Amino acid sequence: MVFVRAGLSRGAYCRPSVFHQRILRCLYACRAGRGRLHLFTCRCPRSSGAQPVLGEAVSLPVAVAKRAGRTLLLMIFAAAGTILLVRFAPGFFSDSREMDAKYASAAREEIQAENSRQQTLGQIAVREFKGWLKGDFGESRQYRVPVAELIGARMRVSVLLLARGIAYGWLLALCVALPVSALRKGGVVWGLPFTLLLAIPASAMATACILSEIGGPVLVLSLLVAAREFKFLRGLLEAAWRSPHILYGRAQGLSPLALARMHILPNVAPQLCALATLSIVTALGALVPIEVVFTVPGIGQLAWSAVMNRDLPVLVAIGLWMAFVVGVAGMLSARDWTLEAA
Amino acid sequence: MKKRIAAGLLLLLVLGAALVLRLAPYGYADQDRDETMAPSTARHWAGTDELGRDRAVRVAAALLIGLTGAAVAAAITTMIAACFGFLAAFSPRPVAAALIFIGDLFLALPWLFLLMLARSLLPLTASPMQTAVATFLVLAALGWPACARAVYRGAAQLRSAEWMIQGRACGLRARQLIRLHLVPRLLPLLLPQFLICVPAFIVAEANLGALGLGVGEPMPSWGAMLLELDNSALLARSHWVYLPIALLVIVLLILESFTAEAGADA
Repeated sequence: MVFVRAGLSRGAYCRPSVFHQRILRCLYACRAGRGRLHLFTCRCPRSSGAQPVLGEAVSLPVAVAKRAGRTLLLMIFAAAGTILLVRFAPGFFSDSREMDAKYASAAREEIQAENSRQQTLGQIAVREFKGWLKGDFGESRQYRVPVAELIGARMRVSVLLLARGIAYGWLLALCVALPVSALRKGGVVWGLPFTLLLAIPASAMATACILSEIGGPVLVLSLLVAAREFKFLRGLLEAAWRSPHILYGRAQGLSPLALARMHILPNVAPQLCALATLSIVTALGALVPIEVVFTVPGIGQLAWSAVMNRDLPVLVAIGLWMAFVVGVAGMLSARDWTLEAA
Repeated sequence: MKKRIAAGLLLLLVLGAALVLRLAPYGYADQDRDETMAPSTARHWAGTDELGRDRAVRVAAALLIGLTGAAVAAAITTMIAACFGFLAAFSPRPVAAALIFIGDLFLALPWLFLLMLARSLLPLTASPMQTAVATFLVLAALGWPACARAVYRGAAQLRSAEWMIQGRACGLRARQLIRLHLVPRLLPLLLPQFLICVPAFIVAEANLGALGLGVGEPMPSWGAMLLELDNSALLARSHWVYLPIALLVIVLLILESFTAEAGADA
């Protein structure tokens, strides 16, 4: 009996005849340049384990196109989800005219009915998607200003804050993690401040900064990023310090600084890049409480204000922006696209 | 050993909080209008807030509400993650890909932004208990994707294990395999996920509360207690205002130590 996991549904097994037919068909398709290329694996009780039968990487442009498509799909779903959530939020249909005493109750009911007719889920979605295709993100319900204009002005502030926060946070985490990971004892003590920082909510940290009049939003964001990344960095660097060639280098009398500069950092650079891009998501999450507490006029504060006021066009635009940033970060964090796509 | 000390400390805190609530002559919503923003006194040893509510009682209630809510939400989210991970691991490839994409979609947007969106969906005129339940349910409903990924990875490894193939070849049904073999083997993976979720949910609730989207007044919560720090008049009168944040950090540190231990065990 042969068990096969190739070109079939996951976990499904077939009789030898079907297995051989499928393998041959797939091999033929691949050699003829047709069909998708997979890494086929067959399992047989007589063999020691999984054996790669055929493997070939998907080309870089295909991998890029797939990831870009995934990001686009992510953005569309994020926008659709935001529309769905906000459309059913209480107070979405509220109209300032309903509070006006000069309107009779019948007129107010008619206003409500008119709003309901114009704001069905499908109509909203079609209107928004049409607008985006033309580069129009609508008008903010709260500020009566075009959303693109509103976001554009705040984007610079938030991007600067994010960039500085991530850069300083990484610098701090790397500067501490690199020597601490080389220590044989006492690593836990050095890691304690970062564990403590992890246990403090972003809003509390921001409030503490204001009360003590020390630092600002950049410091809080840097500390949050450093606390989150220190754990991963230390694990990564500890594994690097324990690798045989580094141990050999240490035994040969190479200084730790030289080892770190010439062997460790270049070796872990791809993983560091992947982690650095992923910390964008961490920083984006912390952006809202930090900007709200420090009253920084950025995207986070705008998102909070839009949520409180059910400002759909602003929320959808911010959702799209965040999905785009996260999607691009995910694309950049993939170390070896061709390998992953295979 | 560390785990036992941490568990002992947590138990001590919970018992202390329960004792304070039991022995105090006031409820968490009772107002003493003669002693608003009071420092430590004989009647209110941790002082009162701007409405004259006893701070010790409110902190004790916030601790119990926060821990219970986060634990329940973490249990729910772990269950959702387990179901989702199982389903993705044992489904045909297109179904698994679709399920993973759904998880990725939730992971794509920053969590706090999603929480804010979902929390704003809830009715504006809800009772404090309803807002508390809704807040923790929202956390549970949105916290599963990261756990589901871990469960999926674990289940996918088990799916291709030799004993699994042997079991299927011996004629065991999928239900039998899952109940008798898979679930017991995945439990060590689910427990760390649960332990990771509890402190994460407490922090998320505190952040939501600080933004005014958490548990409604007068029910005490970490988020609402942190808002006291914005009141400079209160800060000038008493240092007991820092009690909630100090206790929150201690609780989170204890829970983080559990998480670290569970991660090491897994």
